[in-house]
Amino acid sequence: MSKAQIQIGETIAVLFVFFILIVIGFIFYVKVIKSNIELEKEELSQLKAIGIAQRVMFLPEVQCSEDNIIIDNCIDVLKLDSAQNLMKENELYYYDLLEFGNVNVTQIYPNDAKWIIYSRKTSDFKNKFNTNVPISLYNPVTRKHSFGVLTIETLLK
Amino acid sequence: MMNKKAFEMQFNWIFVLVAGAAILLFFTVVVVKQRSVSETSTKTTVLKSIEAIITGASISTDTINIINIPSSDIEISCNRVSLGSLSRQYQSLILFAPSLVKGNRLITQTLAFSTPYRATNLLYITSPQLRYIIIGNTNLANEINKSLPSDLKKEFYQSVPQIKNLNNYKVRFIVFGDMVDFPKALEKMPDYDATAVRINGDNEKGIIEFYQKDGTSWLSKGSSFYIGKSSLIGVVYADTLDMYNCNMLNTFSRLNLVTKIYVEKTKKIMQSTASLPCKQSYGNALNHLSIVYEASSDFNKENIDKISDAAKSLADENKNAQLYSCPLIY
Repeated sequence: MSKAQIQIGETIAVLFVFFILIVIGFIFYVKVIKSNIELEKEELSQLKAIGIAQRVMFLPEVQCSEDNIIIDNCIDVLKLDSAQNLMKENELYYYDLLEFGNVNVTQIYPNDAKWIIYSRKTSDFKNKFNTNVPISLYNPVTRKHSFGVLTIETLLK
Repeated sequence: MMNKKAFEMQFNWIFVLVAGAAILLFFTVVVVKQRSVSETSTKTTVLKSIEAIITGASISTDTINIINIPSSDIEISCNRVSLGSLSRQYQSLILFAPSLVKGNRLITQTLAFSTPYRATNLLYITSPQLRYIIIGNTNLANEINKSLPSDLKKEFYQSVPQIKNLNNYKVRFIVFGDMVDFPKALEKMPDYDATAVRINGDNEKGIIEFYQKDGTSWLSKGSSFYIGKSSLIGVVYADTLDMYNCNMLNTFSRLNLVTKIYVEKTKKIMQSTASLPCKQSYGNALNHLSIVYEASSDFNKENIDKISDAAKSLADENKNAQLYSCPLIY
């Protein structure tokens, strides 16, 4: 073997080691990026779930109002029954706002009662978030408030 | 004839060249890929911000926000927000905005659409780089000027001013009264970047006519209608007739759904009340609500007139209900 052939062999070996190091570095970089993306995805999913919960709480279809002044964290009981049917009839419209999940209102004091106002399920979900919001249920006819919980279950792909 | 040594030297150089090119190519590919990933990531961040703004708009009324975003060109059309190749399609989006929002800051505003009960919130988005020129000497012109965010690049004139070109990527004229001539200083702007709207009406309802630059003059692009101050503000932000009508159709479909709830609610209150004045008030309210419900099925002048009249009567019935200590309709 001539001197030149040995030199070329050496260079190839150096290049080989160089590329191996680059590949190892690249694999490490991709792994770090992947874990960051997973974390970001989780955070985004949680934000989305909170966003949907907020949307539900401020739907004019269920919110209490007194002379067009909105009462926070209050659901009008008389609107609930109609909202139940309306949201079922217009499921596709509300899907754009609430995506996959369930929205229930449960009265826990003084009596027990439950309204399922929205339900659109999928078996193909990766994350499931449950948001419970304590609310006041107002009946404008009796002018009485009862205590309840608004449960928003969000299924995210 | 080349000797063995010289051949070896030449081969060495070729080898170094090939190896060097391979290394350079590898890093170039990595850099190009990384750049495209980074661009996509930035666009996704902006789209997410817009989604968050849309969510925020549905829960807060009468707000103005300035939002910093990575510098981008956001294209907004009917039920669609796009950033280059990335886009988000909505089934029913209420977002009054110019067709192109440029820059690294967004100005957002929300107002309630009430007839007279709140049916939805209207969201408006624009860029501080866009120039708004309001011309008019009516109270309505003054009110609209005051209702627009102070951070907006807006100018208010009572009569036709001498317009200078300030190199804005878009200029929008809001004219109350007779249409103004196209300013000479803006003749070099692309046609679709200079738009105008002429407003003829009052605080409650009216007719609007959309214009677009056509060489050295204005070209009418059609007319539409507004109902209430919030939809009139929408006329300022939406720079095309299609965009405005699309948003109003979406607003009307939401009004239709919410009205149905109020119809059912009023029926229930009516059934459970014994007081005669209350029953009468609810009966009248039900008629007005039915008119709003039917008229909100389509967005046109006739329906706007019907909704406007029914809304006034409904507000009166709500006051009556309050007067007789009956449960309120809305």
